[in-house]
Amino acid sequence: MSQPIKLSIPSHPKYLGLIRKVLQELLDYHEVPDETARRLILCVDEACSNVIKHGYGGPCEEPIEATFFFDGDDFKVQIRDYGKQCDSSQIKPRCLDQIKPGGLGTHFINEIMDEVSYCTERAKGTLLTMVKKLKNELTSVQEKNKE
Amino acid sequence: MSIELKLEHPAENTVTVLVNGDIDMGSSTKVRDILAPLFQENNKAIIVDLSGVSYIDSSGIATLVEGLQWSHSSQNKFRLVSLTPGVKDVFEIARLLTVFEVFDTKEQALVE
Repeated sequence: MSQPIKLSIPSHPKYLGLIRKVLQELLDYHEVPDETARRLILCVDEACSNVIKHGYGGPCEEPIEATFFFDGDDFKVQIRDYGKQCDSSQIKPRCLDQIKPGGLGTHFINEIMDEVSYCTERAKGTLLTMVKKLKNELTSVQEKNKE
Repeated sequence: MSIELKLEHPAENTVTVLVNGDIDMGSSTKVRDILAPLFQENNKAIIVDLSGVSYIDSSGIATLVEGLQWSHSSQNKFRLVSLTPGVKDVFEIARLLTVFEVFDTKEQALVE
């Protein structure tokens, strides 16, 4: 496993662009294809937005810690907060047949990521772990580079 | 990235909202604030030009879904034009691409 990349941002929406940019650079460095990179960035942004909205109850200056790992062909990201703990059994994507605003963030995360887990076994806050298996995406890039 | 919003009136009773920048949790309320009054005015068609938007999140999608709902209750047309690949992909994951009237160009949205 390569060294993890860690970034801590204050829990305010104005820093979401920063975390997206850092992750874009990291995914470019690892030659993750554009479409996959965009989707991974969306998941991280949605996870941080959920922390701001639900964990900390609105914009403030509490920490959101993001850690990015490349482990072989797997990309793993952990989002740690110290806010209100969520009941992971209550985190469910809404039915998409209903056309209404809101509730799509969890759907994006579950649709895009291969593994999603929430850990609240700590004094404060939640640790969200998301894993995306990139074997197929990275293999096709390597084959393209060989041509 | 900060967001820029501009209104244009390309035809009578038609207004275009040009959006430039990322639509995320921090900026989607600005899009909502500019859209909401347009449905109270005498506009037959409200067009949102997304050619300058490379990123949209669930809060941005929610804002546009609200616009769609307002258009249904006010009988206005509500159209989206020039979706970039990133934005189109998010609509597809949300399975909302066919729910909106989406056009490749502003000209097409005006004619049809």
